[in-house]
Amino acid sequence: MIKIENLTKRYGQHVAVDNLNFTVNEGEVVGFLGPNGAGKTTTMNIITGYISATEGTVTVDGYDILDNPEEVKKRIGYLPEFPPLYVDMTVKEYLDFVFDIKKANTKNKKQDMERIMELVRITDVQNRLIKNLSKGYRQRVGLAQALVGNPPVLILDEPTVGLDPKQIIEIRNLIKDLGRKHTIILSSHILPEVSAVCERVIIINKGKIVASDTPENLSRRLGESSKLSLRIAANEKQAVKVLRDVPGIKYVEAQGVKEPDTVDVWVEAEKDIDVRRPIFNALSRAGYPILQMKSMDLTLEEIFLQVTTRENGEVS
Amino acid sequence: MLAVYKRELRAYFTSSTGFIFMGFFLLLSGFFFALTNVFGASSNYNAVLGSITFIFLIVVPILTMRLMPDDKRQRTDQLLYTSPLSISGIVLGKYFAALTVFLLTLLVTCLYPIIMSFFGDIATWEIVGGYIGFLLLGSAFISIGLFISSLTENQVIAAVITFSALLFVWILDWVTQGLPTDRISGIVFAAILALVAGAFVYYNTRNIYVGVATSLLGAIIIVATYFLADKYFFDGFIVRVFEWFSLLKRYDDFQMGILSLSSIVYYITFSSAFIFLTIRAIEKKRWS
Repeated sequence: MIKIENLTKRYGQHVAVDNLNFTVNEGEVVGFLGPNGAGKTTTMNIITGYISATEGTVTVDGYDILDNPEEVKKRIGYLPEFPPLYVDMTVKEYLDFVFDIKKANTKNKKQDMERIMELVRITDVQNRLIKNLSKGYRQRVGLAQALVGNPPVLILDEPTVGLDPKQIIEIRNLIKDLGRKHTIILSSHILPEVSAVCERVIIINKGKIVASDTPENLSRRLGESSKLSLRIAANEKQAVKVLRDVPGIKYVEAQGVKEPDTVDVWVEAEKDIDVRRPIFNALSRAGYPILQMKSMDLTLEEIFLQVTTRENGEVS
Repeated sequence: MLAVYKRELRAYFTSSTGFIFMGFFLLLSGFFFALTNVFGASSNYNAVLGSITFIFLIVVPILTMRLMPDDKRQRTDQLLYTSPLSISGIVLGKYFAALTVFLLTLLVTCLYPIIMSFFGDIATWEIVGGYIGFLLLGSAFISIGLFISSLTENQVIAAVITFSALLFVWILDWVTQGLPTDRISGIVFAAILALVAGAFVYYNTRNIYVGVATSLLGAIIIVATYFLADKYFFDGFIVRVFEWFSLLKRYDDFQMGILSLSSIVYYITFSSAFIFLTIRAIEKKRWS
């Protein structure tokens, strides 16, 4: 559906996007992840035809953005980081204007508009001036704007930024729903959002792709060995001594006392060995009750930090 | 284009700029009408149109300053440029919206000659000619303002630079009176024009030979004109060139009721050139 080849954007000496290559298949929901200034917005602006690339090509549905900009733009609904709203219009007038400039079919315009407003739940504010709307509603009007003309591709630049937690959940659910019928690229620096909504994550840093996979695969691949965190009712020396003798454990690290008369310990096991049962048996034989045991899988946050701070961190 | 046109026209009257433009224009034109025709007991309405051209200096910046910067500020340019609209459609929509506000205001001033017609005979066709010229002059100034508004992201800067540019048009007219009219300076000026043309061609083609050839061609034409055609051609050449290009000088014809085709074509070409430049300026910004 979307194919990006050798995409490069330079601002003078500064390279904002550096030789980017990726494809997004039809119906896929892809998360675009990266720290601020990684080139997420620039890439999105190029795909939507807002700015041009220095080098490289973008094809959407077989149409090149340079050769057939009109065909490409018809197929994309774009919600930029700051929703592009005319604040001196009412919601309805604004959407009407968007229908006109997107040359969306005028026959069912009225039903289409009703449907979109219903979908993003702005029907009750349709006659209010946009300048009097709250940030959450403005974001939704921005989303409504992207949905006008029912484009097969949606590009959403940080759709939940600046919203309160309840609104964030609402918008996320909406995006999940939309993902059933649309191809979506979504950028974010909020990781749980990406793992909740996206089927695939592309992590970019300094204009380059550093990782691209499903959220689960990413955390599995980067979590090279399984780590456990334990809280044991024993003193440090005793606990460490018992744990060292359990087969399959690579190393044991005491974390100090967090609760009176207990000790916290981190244990790292050899790859592909489940050491939870041996640990339980060993400790119960020694008479030290386990109060807490949890696995320390790398969260997306840790993966993100790992790949974005690693020097030339090519993962895939 | 139509959608952008409607939206811009609306924006003029939901914000205050449309009203400020109309109010200011009508106030001054009414003042001059009263002074010249009513108190002066004259039926020469074109004199009023002629004396109020200076209003453009003040009102055109008001009309054009928000055209491009406003979209940039609200980031709605992202909506426009990522829609299937062409840039020329967007720019033309905005230009015609500004032109419509100006036209509406002019229509209101049509009341003045109508009032006069109740009390005596008026030179109807002369006045119509005067209005056509006035409209063309205004549309040329609005195109300058449109272009300047596309260069900056700040409305105030757009307004100030537009004002300066229009002031420059007026100053050029005053300066023309004092320019040398002798033959030598005429030839020198023609030579400079040939050099500039050569430099322009070189800048666009990046080919030094074509550039030099253009300048040489210009020099040959100058020499040929001097020795073969008309010795007196270069007397007052500078003044004639400036007057030919002057927006204001050409308006004098219309004021006298002369509808000259070359002037109409000149004004339309002038506006088109600036609209074209505006489109290019926007495209260049998106490409850099």
